Amino acid sequence: MANDKTIWEKLQAIDRRVLYTLLMVIATVSLFFKVNVPTKPGQPTKDLYRLLVDADALPEGSTVILQSDWTQSTRGESAGQMEALLRILMRRNIKFALLSVADPQAPLVARNVIRAINLERKAKNQREYQVWEDYVNLGYFPNAEGTSNAIAANFKTAVAGRKETPPGSTTPLDVFQSPVLAKVSKVEDVPVYINVTGSKTSNILIERLGGRVPFAALVTGVMGPETLNYYQSGQVKGVAIGLNGVAEMESLMEKGLEESGKPPVQSFAGETNYGRGMAYYLALHTCLVLMIVAVVVGNVAMVAARKKK
Amino acid sequence: MIPWLAQAPAEPALNMWNAPAGTPEIWIKVGIAMLAGFGLLAALIAAPTRLRRPISAAFIFVAGLFWVLVFLFPKPIDSQTPHDQRPSGFVQNVSFWLADAIPVVSNFSNILTAFILGLGVFSLMRIHLMRVAKKQTDWPFSIVLLVSMVAMATFGYWDWKTRLDLGGAKVDEAWPLAAYGKDLLFDGMLQVMEAAMFSLIAFFILSAAYRAFRIRSVEATILLCAALIAMLNLMGAVVVTWDGMIESFGKDNAFLMNFTLSSVAGFIRDNLQTPGIRAIDFGIGLGALAMGLRLWLSLERVGGN
Repeated sequence: MANDKTIWEKLQAIDRRVLYTLLMVIATVSLFFKVNVPTKPGQPTKDLYRLLVDADALPEGSTVILQSDWTQSTRGESAGQMEALLRILMRRNIKFALLSVADPQAPLVARNVIRAINLERKAKNQREYQVWEDYVNLGYFPNAEGTSNAIAANFKTAVAGRKETPPGSTTPLDVFQSPVLAKVSKVEDVPVYINVTGSKTSNILIERLGGRVPFAALVTGVMGPETLNYYQSGQVKGVAIGLNGVAEMESLMEKGLEESGKPPVQSFAGETNYGRGMAYYLALHTCLVLMIVAVVVGNVAMVAARKKK
Repeated sequence: MIPWLAQAPAEPALNMWNAPAGTPEIWIKVGIAMLAGFGLLAALIAAPTRLRRPISAAFIFVAGLFWVLVFLFPKPIDSQTPHDQRPSGFVQNVSFWLADAIPVVSNFSNILTAFILGLGVFSLMRIHLMRVAKKQTDWPFSIVLLVSMVAMATFGYWDWKTRLDLGGAKVDEAWPLAAYGKDLLFDGMLQVMEAAMFSLIAFFILSAAYRAFRIRSVEATILLCAALIAMLNLMGAVVVTWDGMIESFGKDNAFLMNFTLSSVAGFIRDNLQTPGIRAIDFGIGLGALAMGLRLWLSLERVGGN
């Protein structure tokens, strides 16, 4: 009978609904507290920050290709990554050509983030990023492997026919007429190729574009270990992994980067640096603590029950 | 000479493969291409059964051969070298041709992939319209699905057209019905529901971790310890506190610094986790190569033969 169970046996079989309720309450409550949790950025995130902010690696005013391959399913991680990335690019006047290969929803999701960061800039009386002048949306390409091969072979031909409407005009023009892509004809012409992804597209890109252009990746926690393979081999210059990576990026944006033997990298102190990453970081902590506690309780109860027998 | 595939420039004024947008010529070409496609399909269906397999095998072989040649053939010095400045030897010519043809062939595969979307829509419509017509189990849900699909497509296209006609900035300012409808359906419903659905995974992970992470064997204990360190390393506050504590004992003590949480987690990640994943990836790569060869050469078994 259920009532004959000892406390140790009961603790080994906590009802899943209890765990679900605990998780829901803890995650929700944590989101109400705005706490800047301390971070210790890892080397992959530091390298990414250096690549994006260092004027030698990415000169101000240059154009990067930004491949956005995430949707709301990975919002917890990818949205924060995209926001932090866009904040850096816009503050440094880096132009970007946006494209997606993973999901038809991805370009629209990315456009929404650009709009949100633009609103943030508008509220601070900063210059808004303009389509055509500062960025172009190349849209969705439905085949990651084929598109990556085409980009590697000939970027101009791969995205030929894509149009964007300049501000104040109703006539869409070829994206290569825009200031963003005016000087780009091959992928080697961009100083950095950036991929924000919730799937395997970073691997597909590296396998086909590796060695042609410095590559940066902002990936989900699940894709992190796989991407680190390419980081260790030097094919990816910098990686931000998951929510932890976002919080580290935001921390670096606030405090800057100083590493022994390397020139310091500027901070963006005084700007809005702590965003979605830090907003979710406390919840990540509390949820992980809950998981650790649950695992420990289960194991302690198991050992205690065995000893009693 | 009529340009053929790779020789067709990226933005030509006119060639046999394109025409200015919106002109009758482009629609005639689209019509001819569709008729040719359907004709080809009809011919394949009408072909004797014993010939179908060799025809499919030939198509697959030619399609695969292109990428095999791209991978194995010597690469050109720079595929964007102007035609009149290119070396003229056979090997160079072929390598330039292959490099030039990659975007064209990739576009073919992109278009084929896009057809899968159309096929999916057709299949979904057919199944759910049938279910509604026959009033099968849960048929009201099929109506919801069909209405949602049509509404999303309608507002999506309307918004896109409005943005094209007015310009994106003006649409954001005026916020017409098209933008409102698209925003409500896409951002207000689909995106939120997608985020909510995927967040459910957290609940299953917690429940699974609680039940599965038990120290029943040495291997399970090692796994649990590694997972615990990985989880602790994801918590910046814990890392800063732990590492700060170790550093307070002596930052210059190299041996002691091995016990910082970031060092221990880094060791596990760099020397155990990543090489393990690399090994799995090698295995997957070899498996994919073997499977690719079988598909390319049409060696796979069909229909239980």
